[in-house]
Amino acid sequence: MDALATGSEKRNETPGHAAIRLVDVTKVYPLGKTEVRAVKGVSLSFDTGEFTSIAGPSGCGKSTILNLIGCMDTPTSGEVYLGGEPVSGLSDKELTSTRLEKLGFIFQSFNLIPVLTVFQNVEFPLLLQGRLGAAERKARVEELLTEVGLQDQMRHKSNELSGGQRQRVAIARALVTSPRIVLADEPTANLDSATGERIIDLMQKINVTHGTTFLFSTHDPQVMHHATRVVRLKDGLVVEA
Amino acid sequence: MKSAEVASLLFQVALRNLWLYKVKTLVIGALLAAGSFLAIVGLSLLSNVEKSMRESIIESVAGHLQIQSMKAKDSLALFGGEFFGRADVGSFADFAPYRDVILKHPNVDAFVPMGLDIAILGRGNEMDDVLDALRAGIATGDKRLVRDRVDAVVFQLGQLSLELAERRKISAGDADAAAQEADVERMLAPGAFDDLLSVPSEREAEPFLQFLETKIAPLSGEKMPIYLGYLGTDMGLYTANFKKYRIVEGEGLPQGERGIMLSQKIRETQLKNLAARLFDKLDKRVNKSGVRIAGDAENERTAADLPRQYSTIVGQLDRARAAALSEKLSVAGFRGEDAPGSGDVAKLGAQLKAFLTVNDENLNERRTWFYANVAPLIRLYQINAGETVTLRSYTRSGYIKSLPMKVHGIFSFEGIEDSDLAGATNIIDLVSFRELYGQMNAASRAELEAMRAQVGVKDVSAETAEDALFGSGSSGSVESSSAATSEVPASPSDVEKGDVLKTLVVKPVLPTSFNPEEVRSGLALNAAIKLKDFSKLEKTREELTLALKSAGLEAKVIDWQTASGLVGQFVNITRGVLIFAIVIIFVVALVIINNSIIVGTFNRIQEIGTMRAIGAQRSFVLNLFLAETGITSLIGAFLGAAGAVVLLVSLSRVGIPATSDIVTFLFSGPRLFPSVRWPVAVGAPVAMAVMATLTSVYAARHAAKVQPVEAMQEKE
Repeated sequence: MDALATGSEKRNETPGHAAIRLVDVTKVYPLGKTEVRAVKGVSLSFDTGEFTSIAGPSGCGKSTILNLIGCMDTPTSGEVYLGGEPVSGLSDKELTSTRLEKLGFIFQSFNLIPVLTVFQNVEFPLLLQGRLGAAERKARVEELLTEVGLQDQMRHKSNELSGGQRQRVAIARALVTSPRIVLADEPTANLDSATGERIIDLMQKINVTHGTTFLFSTHDPQVMHHATRVVRLKDGLVVEA
Repeated sequence: MKSAEVASLLFQVALRNLWLYKVKTLVIGALLAAGSFLAIVGLSLLSNVEKSMRESIIESVAGHLQIQSMKAKDSLALFGGEFFGRADVGSFADFAPYRDVILKHPNVDAFVPMGLDIAILGRGNEMDDVLDALRAGIATGDKRLVRDRVDAVVFQLGQLSLELAERRKISAGDADAAAQEADVERMLAPGAFDDLLSVPSEREAEPFLQFLETKIAPLSGEKMPIYLGYLGTDMGLYTANFKKYRIVEGEGLPQGERGIMLSQKIRETQLKNLAARLFDKLDKRVNKSGVRIAGDAENERTAADLPRQYSTIVGQLDRARAAALSEKLSVAGFRGEDAPGSGDVAKLGAQLKAFLTVNDENLNERRTWFYANVAPLIRLYQINAGETVTLRSYTRSGYIKSLPMKVHGIFSFEGIEDSDLAGATNIIDLVSFRELYGQMNAASRAELEAMRAQVGVKDVSAETAEDALFGSGSSGSVESSSAATSEVPASPSDVEKGDVLKTLVVKPVLPTSFNPEEVRSGLALNAAIKLKDFSKLEKTREELTLALKSAGLEAKVIDWQTASGLVGQFVNITRGVLIFAIVIIFVVALVIINNSIIVGTFNRIQEIGTMRAIGAQRSFVLNLFLAETGITSLIGAFLGAAGAVVLLVSLSRVGIPATSDIVTFLFSGPRLFPSVRWPVAVGAPVAMAVMATLTSVYAARHAAKVQPVEAMQEKE
């Protein structure tokens, strides 16, 4: 939790302790006949238990970095390490398993599966894992939904909930497999400021109680304020780490 | 546990997605329901039709198998093909060796030799009939008889005069018509028949009779010639083996007797009084099919035709009967006051015209009255059981063979009485068949020899024919006649002799019976084979083909369906059309399914991306889409199947009415009571759902390729 004090350069030199490490990562997207360099040789490191905000204006590369860390995209060059393991070279199946086992996701649009209830949405990753029995799953899901304050909405469909409630469901879903890292892409962008505040508070509380590494992108200064570390990007480059 | 729970999750998500995209689900489900419905109803009905048709065909004429000569140019078509009755179906000069080989097969029950051909049923007109009677009367010299018969001729002349007056209205100014009318009027003038009434000798009466026969009788118009299709067979074997054959009037044709069994359908449709036929037609359409006269074009036409048929009644009556009928009609309220002229004929004509003018209200009453009061006075059928008819056939050598045939009885094929197809066949004995076909037998040879001896015919070779007939040495006189009835020999040398014989007028006197041994062997065109076990039909067919081949006998063995001609192929053709329709529906369904998955992928791209992002493998997404298609297809197809079963069960109670003749034949009766084919009812929906699911794999794979990063895309 001393990220800001020690500085990124130093952390980059101690890969063994980093939950996430990016080494000279570049991502180039083709755009018609030209190319867009979304991320330009970024090297970053995040320790376990950090509550970090990636900040910057639209198009600065925040989401690209989250996608690369989230194994949803692969870098054009450079390497991404999760828990010290390089991600490049993993098959689609292995990347999917990594997402399921090691990562949790919170999306800007909540991204709940519309046909499922609150309970089923949260249970979904556990079913994909297939490790827990029905009773254990139930206990786990109920515990998390209680933690996010939705114990009374478990049988509701996602379209019966408010935006804040939906994002709470998404947080519960992201945490249900006890991932070491939770990635949140603009988690408060679709919420009013009060609700957004409460969501960040909730994330922060979980960060403290569960020791989960949180990495969230935002361009809202109020949200950034909650982060223990802010990484600022501009035009695909890290301007503050 | 894992896979079961994932499957359960898939099922839940799939079901909810189907509910969410209701329209798409409904369209796909409805298409599969339609396909499944069509498949089950169609295939079940076809199976029922095939079964009933099989019975009609096998038990009326075809048997289970048929054999036909290898030399045949045309295929057998027992129920009509392109060349009904006159196709070259080949022949067996002696069927006995074939029979002996075939009957050795353990599954063969019977072998029935037969042949199909066609002949013309010779008929004159009513005037010819009364003139024949007059000629016969003059020959007897009986004054009273001659007077009666002259009276009948005069009555017919009166009728003819009215007919000609009607015709003049249509073709005014025709000089020939005026001359014809004048001829008739001359014969109707008082005293025209006085010379005949004094009973002259036949010789004296001849010019007068010839005038009537050549100038007057043709004005009545020739009755349309009737082409009779017939089956020549061994009656003993036939009646023992064909269960649908049923005698409805008269007696059967006994084994060893010559004669014809006339089809009831032909008698009803072609040999019945035309007014009666039109009454029957209206009765059938109005009372059985429930189509009213008013408003139906065909019924209105028939009803309009009916009054015109008064002449077919008047023409058959003598003066006494005409007076009796006129009286009855007057009592019934038809007074004939609007008769175009004076006289009994004109009055009766007007009465009948009024009586025969029918509508929906009076049809049943008039028809009943007709059969009660008019039918007994006329000759309702031109041919009745016990009478003798003349069949004229073109033999295979191209000559006309004429044969008198006693009508032993009237028959029909049980259950398919109303079918023209089944009713087109009459049955004659095999010996007469052979003669009409052009084969000489012992009796006809003896007859020919007798005729030759009687008229002193010598064999004339082609080279010397001219000299012999027209040269100086010729002393024979040859009388020409258009009604050549001499025997036509089959061999080429006999044909040459036949040229001479053709010019003779000979009324053949043939024995009415024959030695039954004659049909134990000899000529047949084809033969029916009845089997003990129908299920082994194809195997038996193959074995018989081999057995005949190894015995050195050339013959095709074909099944009943092939032998019956086009109608036998009906089921196969219909099945083809049905399967084609089902395939089209199915292809449309598949296109829509695949299209909807691809479009659905675009609509659900974030949902799929989210699933992928939070850890769902591609296989999960693939299975999800396949499950959605599978569930929709299965539910749709089973709903269609349920509908089909409900329809078939209800139809099995009320039956499907046969609306046309061909349908009657196919249904083997007036109604088809279908049954559900359970293997199809269960198998078709399952097969359709499985196929629909499998063919959606491509589109589902497309959906599975959605990248998890798509989850990050902000919703518009």
